[in-house]
Amino acid sequence: MNAIVIVARKELRDAIRSRWLIAFAITFAALALVISRVQSDSGGLGEQGFNRTTAGLINLCLLLVPLLSLILGAGAISGERERGTLATLLSQPITSTELLLGKYLGLTVAVWGALAAGFGGAGLLVSLVEPFTDIGHYLFFVVLSAALACAMLSAGLFVSVLSDNRAKALGAAILLWFFLVLAYDLGAIALALAVASSGRALTAVAVLNPVEAIRIIAVMSLEPDLEILGPLGAYLTERLGTAKAATLLGGAVAAWTVAPLAAAAYFLRNQDA
Amino acid sequence: MLRIEGVSRRYGNTTVLDSVSLALDAGSVTAVVGENGAGKTTLIKSVVGLIKFEGTITVGGVDVARKGKDTRRMIGYLPQIPAFHGDLSVRETALLYAALKRVEGPAAHKRIEQVGLGDHVDKKVAALSGGMRQRLGLAIALLADPPLLILDEPAASLDTRARLELRELVKDQRGAGKAILLSTHWIEDVPYIADHALVLDHGKAAFQGPALALAASGVTGSRLFLRLNGSSPDAIHVLESTSVASDITRSGDWIILTCVAADKARVVEALVRAGVHILDFRVEEASIDASALKVHAADGARQ
Repeated sequence: MNAIVIVARKELRDAIRSRWLIAFAITFAALALVISRVQSDSGGLGEQGFNRTTAGLINLCLLLVPLLSLILGAGAISGERERGTLATLLSQPITSTELLLGKYLGLTVAVWGALAAGFGGAGLLVSLVEPFTDIGHYLFFVVLSAALACAMLSAGLFVSVLSDNRAKALGAAILLWFFLVLAYDLGAIALALAVASSGRALTAVAVLNPVEAIRIIAVMSLEPDLEILGPLGAYLTERLGTAKAATLLGGAVAAWTVAPLAAAAYFLRNQDA
Repeated sequence: MLRIEGVSRRYGNTTVLDSVSLALDAGSVTAVVGENGAGKTTLIKSVVGLIKFEGTITVGGVDVARKGKDTRRMIGYLPQIPAFHGDLSVRETALLYAALKRVEGPAAHKRIEQVGLGDHVDKKVAALSGGMRQRLGLAIALLADPPLLILDEPAASLDTRARLELRELVKDQRGAGKAILLSTHWIEDVPYIADHALVLDHGKAAFQGPALALAASGVTGSRLFLRLNGSSPDAIHVLESTSVASDITRSGDWIILTCVAADKARVVEALVRAGVHILDFRVEEASIDASALKVHAADGARQ
């Protein structure tokens, strides 16, 4: 069996044994059920039910998915280093890149599993209560959450490789989460407007944060309304059109997935175990 | 099997390994000896490819720096402090590393049995004692029946019985044609366990040659503490008359002396023959007189 798959299987098994992942799956399901219930009380599910449920879930998921993914990624290598098992693993016939990719693959499948179990289970329950016709947006939102998880796991692993121990890695991951999810909107937009209120600066602000990119794509898929899209989304759709804007933002998320992982592989390869 | 040529390692301005060279053939054992911080573990980690180094290391003709994964297929490595995932059982741990080494499950079970952990396969690694963890590490090092064994302080966590078993295991593996590189601070073990010795002092090779020559060089010393049955003056006289004991002092019921590590038994034998009753004895960890070794190495180089 390929070394990457062996490490991924171990990582997945660890994640399943860990209560974190189960807790997040339950949280995702509970959120979806509560929000759909609220929507139902305010006018019934039916044709627009999933659409409204999805819209309600977006902001909550933009908080939770990055937090879960960054924390899991940050603990992956730093935890092994702290336990001394990183050297044990790297003394086997496996390269540091294979180890990193195995961990990434295992964690990705684990987070996808939590998202699928949480949102999938909730979606199934809701559909049993009331028939629906608009599940496409809901499923697309789950896919976007999975894509965001990929990018954030990658960033988490990068933090993990550069951290001496688990505590430092988790601290850095939470700081990064705070910056990307909470502080970025205000800070980056203000900075972009202050430095240069040009279109390029605004575009850069949108693509430099995968959370923002995913948020704009999700909102665009639901109802490309300029107010809901926010200043960045409105600018991008107006300037590039929905399709081009979505491609640009999707590319940004892909770059956010590949670049930190590649950098993590580079640094891990050049570190002493 | 293993060639180390001019290997150095620096941390900032500190040189922890300074142009060390070594050749190790199949069916032979080389012991790397030295005080803490002498560079033993740095050398061993370099061979395994766990740290970066200057110079060249090849295993079976394959360059460690360029093809580390390929060389590690030929290496069974037991670290000084084996670290495994505490939440996995002994069985799960063995199977994980067996998969990485492409070894079948039954073969992994056989190794676990071989090191005496057969009754503990379902025990979590976190619940194992230091000695048992060392055994698990040994089982994993032996999993793929590799041609090169690298053992970093293999006896460190073992009791006396286990140390003797380890000697036998090393002997068996050497007999099976394995090349073995091991580090130890048990200098008295070296003549019994190794064919060749490399003594490191502040990262430099202070001695390199046959293990028996190291033992005979008189640079390895042991402190012996003997509690006698009220016959200390006679005992001191006996000890002084032998040529093997030095620095003989008395402290209460105890006599303390220094001797070459390999001569400890001769000291005790001399006392017993003289009719001195030994109530108790203790041996303090042997040490190396590095300055003497430098002289020895220089003499060797001139020859």
